[in-house]
Amino acid sequence: MKVYIFKRLVIAGVTLLGMSILIFVLMRLAPGNITDMIFESAGYVDEADRRKLEAELGIDKPVVVQYGRWLGEFLSGDLGKSYRYDLPAWEVIKPRLPVTLELAFLALAFSVLLGVPAGVISAIRRGRPIDYALRVFSLAGLSMPSFWLGMIVILLLVRSLGWIPSMTYVSPFDNLGANLFQFLLPGLAVGYRSSALIMRITRSTMLEVLREDYIRTAWAKGQRETLVVWRHALKNASLPVITLIGIEFAFLIGGLIVTETVFNLPGVARYLVDAIQFRDYPIVQNLVMLIAVVVVFANLTVDLLYTWLDPRIKYGKA
Amino acid sequence: MTRPRSLGPLVALVAVALLLAVPAAAQTPKYGGILVTHPLSAAPSLSPHEESTVAVTQQASPCFNNLVYYDPAKKLESVDTIIPELAEKWSWQDGHRNLVFFLRKDVKWHDGKPFTSADVKYTFDAVRGAPEAKAKLKVNPRKLWYDNIDGIEAPDPYTVVFRLKKPQPSLLPMLASGYSPIYPAHVPLADFKNKCIGTGPFKLKENKPGEYIEYVKNPDYFVKGRPYLDGIKFIVIRDRSTQIAAVQSGQLDLAGTGWNRTNAEDAKKGAPKLVVVEMDNNVNDNILINYKKPPFNDRRIRQAINLALDRKAYLVGPRQGAATFGGALLPRPGGVWGLPAAEIARLPGMGDPAKQKAEARKLLAEAGYGPNNPLKFTLSTRALAIYVDTASWMVDQLQQIGVEATLEQIETGVWHPKMTRLEYSVALNLTGVGIDDPDAQLFENYRCGSQRNFSGYCSEEIDRLMVEQSQTLDPKKRLALVQEIDRKLQADGARPILGWAKQHYVLWPYVKGWAVHENSIYNVSRRQDVWLDK
Repeated sequence: MKVYIFKRLVIAGVTLLGMSILIFVLMRLAPGNITDMIFESAGYVDEADRRKLEAELGIDKPVVVQYGRWLGEFLSGDLGKSYRYDLPAWEVIKPRLPVTLELAFLALAFSVLLGVPAGVISAIRRGRPIDYALRVFSLAGLSMPSFWLGMIVILLLVRSLGWIPSMTYVSPFDNLGANLFQFLLPGLAVGYRSSALIMRITRSTMLEVLREDYIRTAWAKGQRETLVVWRHALKNASLPVITLIGIEFAFLIGGLIVTETVFNLPGVARYLVDAIQFRDYPIVQNLVMLIAVVVVFANLTVDLLYTWLDPRIKYGKA
Repeated sequence: MTRPRSLGPLVALVAVALLLAVPAAAQTPKYGGILVTHPLSAAPSLSPHEESTVAVTQQASPCFNNLVYYDPAKKLESVDTIIPELAEKWSWQDGHRNLVFFLRKDVKWHDGKPFTSADVKYTFDAVRGAPEAKAKLKVNPRKLWYDNIDGIEAPDPYTVVFRLKKPQPSLLPMLASGYSPIYPAHVPLADFKNKCIGTGPFKLKENKPGEYIEYVKNPDYFVKGRPYLDGIKFIVIRDRSTQIAAVQSGQLDLAGTGWNRTNAEDAKKGAPKLVVVEMDNNVNDNILINYKKPPFNDRRIRQAINLALDRKAYLVGPRQGAATFGGALLPRPGGVWGLPAAEIARLPGMGDPAKQKAEARKLLAEAGYGPNNPLKFTLSTRALAIYVDTASWMVDQLQQIGVEATLEQIETGVWHPKMTRLEYSVALNLTGVGIDDPDAQLFENYRCGSQRNFSGYCSEEIDRLMVEQSQTLDPKKRLALVQEIDRKLQADGARPILGWAKQHYVLWPYVKGWAVHENSIYNVSRRQDVWLDK
């Protein structure tokens, strides 16, 4: 197991190195840089002044030099400075992280809390009206983009109640109730779509597992339904579901960008789009790398969970 | 026995007096409250001298003061509506070659340091790029405005003298612009990226870049009894429908920067008590035709393009009925310097669309283009909805004269670099004019070699006339010169104007004193007179 973990960490390192090169190159392929954006908001361009600004920021150096400098700083924990705001990058990112993490966590929680039970119920009540209803519910979730759903929710709220969640972030430490109110709807909007996928996979794997001999034996022995379904069947059906949860977590981040915009949450996802538009290289590069680290390690965690769920799975041996 | 006199007339008189008194009492401003609104976008900085977007003047003006400012209470800005701010009074001397300001003695910066003439000299030496300037702006979009200043003197702490190379009556309007605040000489320019130390009615409480800017009342403001508000908060809301929902739900007291008529109407439908304000503003849709790129150096091609664009269809389509027609300067009643209505009605694009399109086809044919050899080019525009809507309409109009235009959307970050480098053929542009003044509008956008003359247009005759009008002191003679320039620009097809868009706001009825000006959106954001009737 230790050997397996070590190998995965090495692969993670190589993956992240590749990511760093990809994001660095992609940002430089996009036309223009931060100096263009600075002059853009001034409404004119003076080429001589622009070149001076490039030299001040160090973006006139060869790309290899810029990459080396950035990578060295990132590995030493120095995230550099936001070109746009002229503030330490960490100072700009730090207050936004909890917003996105809370939204991502809530969305994931909703997706699991809605999707797994719905999938189980749909499987054990296969062919019944509740099964059809839940399948329609999941199809709707797959069909509706989360940003559209978010916009509709806001419109309905304001038309019917004359109320929408707060437009400025309320920290849970300041007012937990207001914070949860603020995040409930966007969390549901993003989580609903993921729950639809999880529900369908859960239903599908549960149907397979419920046909297994050991389940039939458990029924025959007169075991209670809750025991058979939730303890025996679900545990064995959960491997693919957990894999999907790990993958969905990565896709969820993409969905957060528009949800944060629609609900006006000052999270990292929305800020990343701004930073890309402004060619704020340090912010984009460092944020994408941080997200990559989270996704890579989330997937490693998911893989390690398999061994707990299914003791037959052992890593590191042929 | 004498019959007692009837008290009826007396009672009626008292009742009338009371009725007259009640409205006056209801209009007495109330102190307190925080006004919440949204800006056009996140402010790239809080340094108006280094920016050219209303997002900055909106969000920075409450912090600052100018030497002079446009009276918020007067909807139409002109030299006659300029009022004192940091200057108590001013005097033109030596045939308009010297402008002397006598400064207030009771003003402090938000950090408690006293305001003096040294701050004025510091600011405008930096802006005009003087060799002796103590600071240099990183970017300087309005350096051109102050080209005519020969020197600035501060003979004592409360007197400033602007010495000009030639007479320039426009200097005063330029100094009154929201883009011309006074900076403190003791605060480094770099600090204005995220902070603000000014003398204005509001002090910066918190700036969360990209999220919100919050101001708190300045208790030491030199205008006694102002501001009425305890604070102002600008919340950045990117999504238009979220902005509408936010004002309908009451989270915003007013909204509308960057809105069109439909947005305002939608907001009111969901909250009928909202008050809608529609007014002219000094922002125009204009066509950039690359003079240096064949075949657009051919006058016939430029005229054909101009004739093909039916202005009335532009009004109905992209502008949803909310625009004003005009030439290079905003016409009356919304502006001061524009062409008369009768002349505007005869400009290209204003006449019978069928006849004008036929004339356009004829001009193209003379230039060698027709059904067998259609003129093809890329029509560039900025990748923002407000640009793309109008550009899409243009493609259709040009198609009607046999021109095949392909729409190219250019990302905001590279828009101005491309325009400055003339890397386009024809482009649809939007220009906001800082002040309704010929010097600002003409020198910036039409002068040979100006950094914002994006079409590369150059006429020595126009340049000469521009300089002449700039030095003309008699307002009537100056207006005549300005209109002559405008006529020639329209005849040359120099940056044809499609129209001047209108601005739209919605506000709750309890918001009082929110000033909106007809001929500028940049010079009215001090907000010291705003109060909340609740």
